[in-house]
Amino acid sequence: MASDKTKLEVKKNPEEKPVEEMIVKLDGFHSQFTVIESNTNETPEPANKPKPRPQSVSKNNTKTLVKKVAIIGLPNTGKSQIFNNLTGEYNIVANYPRTTIEVKRSLAKIKEQLYEIIDTPSLHCLYIHSEEEMLVRNMILDENPDIIVQCIDASQYKQSLLLTADLLELETPMVIVLNAIDKTQRKGIRIDSKELERILEIPVVESIATRSIGKAEIQDAITKARKSKSSIKYGFKIESAIIDVMSALPFEMPFKFKASVLLLLMDPFLEKSLEKKHGREMIERTRLEISRIRRQSQDKIHRDINSKRHQWVSNISNVTVKKDTPDKEFSQDFARACRHPVLGIPILLLFLSFVYLSVVYISTALTKFLEVYIVTPTVDFIQSLSLPLFWNDLLIGQHGIITLGVFNALCTVLPIISVFFFVFGFFEDSGYISNFCVLTKRLFEKIGVTGKAITSFVLGFACKTMATLNTKCLPNRKEKLITVFLISFAIPCSSQLGLDLAILSKVGITAFLIAFGTLTFYAVLAGVILNKVLKDDLSNCFIEVIPPMHLPSIKGIALKTYHRMISFLKESMPIFVLSAIVLFAVDKLGILPMIKKGMNPLIVSWMGLPSDILDVFMLSLATRSAAAGLIFNMVDSGALNFTQSIVAVVVTTTFLPCFSNIIAIGKEMGIKAAITISGAIVIVSFFLGGVLNWLLIFALKQI
Amino acid sequence: MSQSHFIDEYLEQLWYMKEEKQTSVDVLKLNLADKFDLKVLSDLNVKGLAKISPDNKKINLTENGESQARQLVRSHRLAERLLHDVLGGDFEKGACEFEHIVSPELVNSICTVLGHPKECPHGLVIPEGECCKRSDKTALSCIIPLTQLKLGTSARIAYVKCQNDQQIHRLEGLCVRPGVNIKLHQNYPTFVIECEGAHIALDNNVADNISVWRDQQTEDKKNEIQNSSPGIKKESGGLKKFFKRFKD
Repeated sequence: MASDKTKLEVKKNPEEKPVEEMIVKLDGFHSQFTVIESNTNETPEPANKPKPRPQSVSKNNTKTLVKKVAIIGLPNTGKSQIFNNLTGEYNIVANYPRTTIEVKRSLAKIKEQLYEIIDTPSLHCLYIHSEEEMLVRNMILDENPDIIVQCIDASQYKQSLLLTADLLELETPMVIVLNAIDKTQRKGIRIDSKELERILEIPVVESIATRSIGKAEIQDAITKARKSKSSIKYGFKIESAIIDVMSALPFEMPFKFKASVLLLLMDPFLEKSLEKKHGREMIERTRLEISRIRRQSQDKIHRDINSKRHQWVSNISNVTVKKDTPDKEFSQDFARACRHPVLGIPILLLFLSFVYLSVVYISTALTKFLEVYIVTPTVDFIQSLSLPLFWNDLLIGQHGIITLGVFNALCTVLPIISVFFFVFGFFEDSGYISNFCVLTKRLFEKIGVTGKAITSFVLGFACKTMATLNTKCLPNRKEKLITVFLISFAIPCSSQLGLDLAILSKVGITAFLIAFGTLTFYAVLAGVILNKVLKDDLSNCFIEVIPPMHLPSIKGIALKTYHRMISFLKESMPIFVLSAIVLFAVDKLGILPMIKKGMNPLIVSWMGLPSDILDVFMLSLATRSAAAGLIFNMVDSGALNFTQSIVAVVVTTTFLPCFSNIIAIGKEMGIKAAITISGAIVIVSFFLGGVLNWLLIFALKQI
Repeated sequence: MSQSHFIDEYLEQLWYMKEEKQTSVDVLKLNLADKFDLKVLSDLNVKGLAKISPDNKKINLTENGESQARQLVRSHRLAERLLHDVLGGDFEKGACEFEHIVSPELVNSICTVLGHPKECPHGLVIPEGECCKRSDKTALSCIIPLTQLKLGTSARIAYVKCQNDQQIHRLEGLCVRPGVNIKLHQNYPTFVIECEGAHIALDNNVADNISVWRDQQTEDKKNEIQNSSPGIKKESGGLKKFFKRFKD
């Protein structure tokens, strides 16, 4: 059982040692720890248990059965990594802020007690600024977790303590995890965790989550989490103001104290949600009370509250932090070079060509290998069985289940996107993306994509659906709309991009340059037009923390790539097979040739593509990668020439976003916007595809 | 009144006594009247600001105490001049709080604006400052927006202009607030500052709202360094190290 092993681990390190000693010890035992890890990892949770807790179970009941543990912290402090370690599940981990944008839950057993571990998006303080922060706060306020685990990266110690101050005021049992202590020690920051534990009166644990060091201690601490009384003392004046606000709020409201403080700080989100819950009259009364207090304090009370908070933080950090001279870190110099207006550009080009070359050479070699050793022999074997024509076609025909379904997924698409996932994972984990945002901010501003939106934009190259959901953190609707549109219109997602690269490399580097030049032009054109046309609803400010860069661990990237591959196979494999069957049926019934004939003017005359390309468009509706895989095979067999390849790549890239992406747009922007955006994209994409075709033909004639 | 406020008061009094060549503790007692407190006196001794003779009769400022007292008296008398000459007001009342709240940089600026006056309205000597020795002609404003700070320099935040509550709280949450030291790493395409260990990227308009104290001394030092290696070269220094490491 997992719990027994947990106990063993705890015994291994029964008393807490001073920081340095413990690190040495842990490092020494590292190999042993990982061995234990791999054992426990498999059984933290019985596989057949329903994962999310059924909502129908009443709250009082679940309290005794399952305790809720919310993992909360600043961006990039390793919340998801700790979640993964505790639950044995996998939630994507990366080195840029807002990797996690949705609350994720899983069960874990610690010492015979079942816990529901909740991974959350980042939170700076309970005074919130964006939707994904609101998600976390609502989770806390509505669900009232039994235990809060705060993740702290000591390189942002004071900022983290501000959040601690907020969380302590919720009067929920807490645990603090000082994560990534190896990195902070290299920066010359040492936290006296014993002293911190003494001051805050809650368990403080040190951990290096990426190497799952300190997992047993965290589990142990969760069982020992307790409430603390060492929260901020505001002094008589402010406290009486808080009490005044509290008395205006409904009697039975939870977290009344903290809510009052937030209301005094004029938190607009909270006012709105309270208005929904308790009615207009109550909020009006509270608002009156607050404006009276603010007037009385000469509009100073929020400043006073903030000063108290900072005083509390610096008092604690003064006695718990020891600063040594940091090791001069090369990675920070490099990070600075990455975002430098002059040096950043060659570095960017270097990285881009690295992506291009690795995808093109490694993945095409892989697909060729699979083609020769798996695809051809199998097809030959089935052919040799000389089945009736119908079965032969169903299995290995133009729309065969095996050829278009299984092999397209396994032998064409998978090798290409796994290489791309790996390379992209490298960028994610190194922390380059945030620096890239700084470097290119001015350029992106021209097309209406500002600041935070650039991260979402870049993520589109991994998965458009994920990127679309990531726009949740954008405060401005115009910006959100432009970003969502550009993501679904002009950016190829990882599977598409990988395949596009592979396809175009077969036709030549000129084709690659033309196609991606066109796509960039599309993005700029669409961005500029939308930026001009749409009305600005709010001027916003860009304030963003840049995570430190470091050399990512190959193990971490490999794990991430593996999980992405698995989820790709799980999600796409059935769709691949199903769409093959549908196409086969439509073809056999004679509908497909009819549609092909009907679409001829558009596809053949306007865009200059062979009529068989309709298969590709129909596949795109199901999944992009299947369609691109088909193009890859068409180019391979010589069915498409130079111009046609370029047009096909550009049109399929811009053509209607995949189904899950449309759903994501609907979720973020509303159904109406999703339909409008999709419709606009289809029309624009076909129109521009034709224009591109005729331009290319004209240009080629000139040469 | 805070403890440091008391000590300031004593230091000033001791400076006046020094001007009159007095060193007796009794005179100090007389001058301070009911503010006199033996505890503050021993504090002065412990902090190494003043030396009391073994028989508890005589008191002298130490070197450290003297320079502090000098700055206080200078601020006080300059404030009197400012109120008297420029504002024509009641200089007695206004000036007595002044010396406790202004920074040396601001005092130098006032001194420069007033043309380095030698005496206060009472006719007492105003101690010379750095600006008088350099005989500065123009007063640099002590507080500048972050956008005007030189690359690679550190500065203390003086205040953050309040555009809206949201922005203020966002910055507060990142510890970007008055009194905190920040370092400017980059100003194009966006501003990048280092604050309490975190690198933070800011829009121009946000950077414009943050005002910092210009630190004359560190800026002078940086000037010397920067003249030999401007911003871009410094980056390539980092790069050189990078390549070196690769060779290793």
